[in-house]
Amino acid sequence: MALLEVKGICKNFGRTEVLKGIDFSLEKGEVLAIIGSSGSGKTTLLRCLNFLEYADEGTISVNGNILFDGALPEKKNLADIRNKRLHFGLVFQSFNLFPQYNCLDNVTLALKLQKKLSQEEIKERGLRLLDRVGLSDKIENYPCQLSGGQQQRVAIARALALSPDVLCFDEPTSALDPELTGEVLKVIRGLKGQDSTMIVVTHEMEFAKNVADKVIFMADGVIAEMGTPEDVFDRPKNPKTAAFLNKSLESF
Amino acid sequence: MFITVTNSLLEGFWVSFKIFGFTLFFALPLGLLISFGSMSRFKVLRFPTKIFVWIIRGTPLMLQLITIYYGPGLVGKWAASLGVSNFFINWLATWSVMDRFNAVIIAFIINYACYFSEIFRGGIESIPRGQYEAGQVLGMTKTQIFFKVVLLQVLKRIIPPMSNEIITLVKDTSLARTIAVYEIIWSAQEFIKSKGLLWPLFYTAAFYLLFCGLLTILFNYIEKKLDYFKG
Repeated sequence: MALLEVKGICKNFGRTEVLKGIDFSLEKGEVLAIIGSSGSGKTTLLRCLNFLEYADEGTISVNGNILFDGALPEKKNLADIRNKRLHFGLVFQSFNLFPQYNCLDNVTLALKLQKKLSQEEIKERGLRLLDRVGLSDKIENYPCQLSGGQQQRVAIARALALSPDVLCFDEPTSALDPELTGEVLKVIRGLKGQDSTMIVVTHEMEFAKNVADKVIFMADGVIAEMGTPEDVFDRPKNPKTAAFLNKSLESF
Repeated sequence: MFITVTNSLLEGFWVSFKIFGFTLFFALPLGLLISFGSMSRFKVLRFPTKIFVWIIRGTPLMLQLITIYYGPGLVGKWAASLGVSNFFINWLATWSVMDRFNAVIIAFIINYACYFSEIFRGGIESIPRGQYEAGQVLGMTKTQIFFKVVLLQVLKRIIPPMSNEIITLVKDTSLARTIAVYEIIWSAQEFIKSKGLLWPLFYTAAFYLLFCGLLTILFNYIEKKLDYFKG
């Protein structure tokens, strides 16, 4: 059974249809890259998965349990939604670290508020996660003392703290220069194979090609093409995909 | 003479200080509450709150003092003159002029709470949505997000406008004089009437300056304390 199953997700903002029926599924440990031009609905899709937006139609299931069903009227029960959110983690384009906390506290704040683990266990997990993103030496630093790349790595550690089933990245490197982009992508690639199931919305075509197990090309709110990186990048069936890839890979 | 005047002014300043202290203590939380009202999703709450803030900020504090002081007495008189007798009217008829000091405190609290509420609102609305969303995706409750994520950032942002408003409050306490509350300006004016001395009035400036100076130092200290993070 697929870990994540998304069926028929539709989302309108007023009269604008942003998502017009999105279906895909993801196995445990798989990395899915979503590519496509701006305004094609990639970010909205991630926000629907994380319940920052509520889809108008469709279902989202994790491990066979339906978490969200647009047909049900009680879809906005807040306490309920909070628990369901924990199946997903989200790394933002603009990091959104909490500026008043140091790196360790940024990673562990949510765990502390949950009060499920002891202080020592929480600290130990925080240190382990920061080590995993290569920031063991920045534990006590505040976000304003870090480079953009380091901030994004802290944000990744923070998203991992609650051990989500699916970790989502919303253009994690779009706010970074090429050098810093590399260090963040390396960390994301490092998570692969450690049982992390990931969805990465990205404009880094090389990354999508080399790291993803599955690529989705989105255009105008629908999945225009879906397949292995080889299928999508080397043998695109949809002319829209070919046109988009041509532009993206164009050299100057 | 100088000692006598100083002692007398100190007595007056103590009253000014009490007005300042009580106002700050109650207007800050009330202001936060009002700011929640004016940011509410519910129109029935948001609209009246905004109208209330508009009225309070749109009329002079001096007029509000007079209204709160004489208002209850006027209502009582009016109720008594109606010649109607029922539980509610009889209760209204028992209203009389309020205690002077209490009237000052109430008027100041309401007035300053409205100004503070707008500062809070500005501060809260200036926090990027991403901070709330980051808290949400980590499964935090709204209350946790407000207290653990947003509040300190808001505090840092509102310190400068807050210190402005609080320093204005120090000097606004002199308005209590309009309903004959014995604060520092009033006590200085006593010397004009009784001894023909004008200088005690100018001497009051020293008290205000000293107190505002201390407040400025305090706010600078808080600003420095919150300097360790940006945002």
